[in-house]
Amino acid sequence: MNGSDSEHVVATEHLTKIYQNRQIALNDVSLTIEQGCVLGLLGPNGAGKTTFLRLVLGLHRPTAGRVKVFGRPMNPNAATLRRRIGYIPTNPQFPGGMTPINYLDYMGRLFGLPINVRKPRLAALIRAVDLLSHAGTDIAQFSAGMTARLAVAASLINQPDLLIWDEPTHGLDIEARRSMLELIKTLAHEKTLIICSHNLSDVDEVCNHAAVLSQGQLIFQGSLQDLKGRIRKNHYELDLEGDQKSISKCVQQIKSFNDVKQVILRQRRMEIMLNEETLNTAVLSKVFSVLNENKVALVSVRSVGQQTEQAYLDLVEKEESRGFTRLYSPAEAA
Amino acid sequence: MDVQATITAPFNYRRWMPYWAVLRTDMRQTLRSWVYRLWVVVTILAAGGFLLYRFGVHREAGIAQPAAVHTSDLLRAIALGSLALIVILSVSSISSERGTLADSVLSRGISRYQYFLAKWHARTLVIVTTFAAMAFAMLGLFHFLLTDDLTFGGCLAAVVTISALLAAVVAAGVAVGSLSNSTVVGITALWIFLYGSGLLMALLPYSLPTPEKVLARLPYVLQGEYDLNTLTDWVFGGIVTAIGLAIVGMLGFSRKDV
Repeated sequence: MNGSDSEHVVATEHLTKIYQNRQIALNDVSLTIEQGCVLGLLGPNGAGKTTFLRLVLGLHRPTAGRVKVFGRPMNPNAATLRRRIGYIPTNPQFPGGMTPINYLDYMGRLFGLPINVRKPRLAALIRAVDLLSHAGTDIAQFSAGMTARLAVAASLINQPDLLIWDEPTHGLDIEARRSMLELIKTLAHEKTLIICSHNLSDVDEVCNHAAVLSQGQLIFQGSLQDLKGRIRKNHYELDLEGDQKSISKCVQQIKSFNDVKQVILRQRRMEIMLNEETLNTAVLSKVFSVLNENKVALVSVRSVGQQTEQAYLDLVEKEESRGFTRLYSPAEAA
Repeated sequence: MDVQATITAPFNYRRWMPYWAVLRTDMRQTLRSWVYRLWVVVTILAAGGFLLYRFGVHREAGIAQPAAVHTSDLLRAIALGSLALIVILSVSSISSERGTLADSVLSRGISRYQYFLAKWHARTLVIVTTFAAMAFAMLGLFHFLLTDDLTFGGCLAAVVTISALLAAVVAAGVAVGSLSNSTVVGITALWIFLYGSGLLMALLPYSLPTPEKVLARLPYVLQGEYDLNTLTDWVFGGIVTAIGLAIVGMLGFSRKDV
């Protein structure tokens, strides 16, 4: 995520947050987010993700370092900067006794939107998030899915350039979650997004960049491809269909290939590990030929360990095992 | 969810609209809060009971009941007794919203200054207006039901003076609430400070002016025997104290994590 300062939607320099000299929530985080980037902010509980987001929003003040949003310093009074940001907190809460119309109108007023802009927007958003039939219902009676949709609408009322969504799929059922992911993909065409999530499959699906925090420190910043590239390569899993004897025969043949390090067969699932420097397409084409010759059908093939989840776990585990050496190369990956 | 971008013509943001939005919402929430309702109900019941008793004595026993003396007693009791609930109402205005609810407001296009000002003004308006309305209603009833020795100018001066003192308490409450991390701690601290300093001021030499002495002079004020300059000083002092405390609170809040 390199680029000049003006291209950065968010840029933090040596950002550090220590709460009341008791808890180090964020430690020397320097991160840049370019326009159009969909960043997945990852990390275990207590890693400092929410603190980072709150610092970017100006809800917290940094103990050291600084945050720039759209090239300008963010602080608690930077209302004009926040007009360009849409935020959803982890568990959005709403003032009691309000309907979605009242609430979105209130949010619109908080952004200083004139009535001829505010009202049409809130009407369009209520319709878009499927709350039209509940537009006059008290929010206190809403389900988790409905409040999540309302929070989405509230974060979009100002048509922001930067969206910061903390756990947007938290507590949603499968259908609502799918809907939310589709929305993120749509918004990603024209906006910059920071998505904070524990659900790595969500991040894998919608994000193009990732930043990993561990114990308040940034241990990775880059594209998802880079993150995946950090883990073991050339490891594939093939689900096969056919005679068990034929499959075993295939295994023997594949084992004889020079570039194949190891082949493991479990029932009808074959795991193939290639040498790291090997061109995978060449070997895999030979593997498929062998299967074809033995009349074994291929049900599925996937690259093992190339998942974000695996990469993330490896990264966090590696960081935690480094011990005191972290002192000398704190942001090896960043 | 199919959120389509709508193309809107260029427009100017309304700079003070966020302030008005928070002010309006907070006033509505204060009027709905159980603490506010409790304050109003308790005050009306206490005033009603007191008035009925005095009216009974006046009517049945035929003992003259000077309205100025009894109204000043009642106003003094209400002002001092209401402090406990007014402190709760004012301290909780910001501190009770800290966390997720404040997130959804302060993460929008509003500055901390505007947010603080809106909260302070909303609570001051509701509390002072309610007090003034209840006080004038009581004065009106006492005027008609007891021996009338009240003057309009005296009533106005008394209510304005007590309102100015209450406004200072509200400002202190909102400031403490904006700076403390816990509502309970903020309320307790302000209670101890107010009642403690009241006790200490009662021990001061009689020549020194204290709010307690202002309240003690209320019967004379209500009868129209007051020095306008002294009362103006008290009103001015109350307003200056309120503004001073609000500035401290506002500056502190603008540098605080929420």
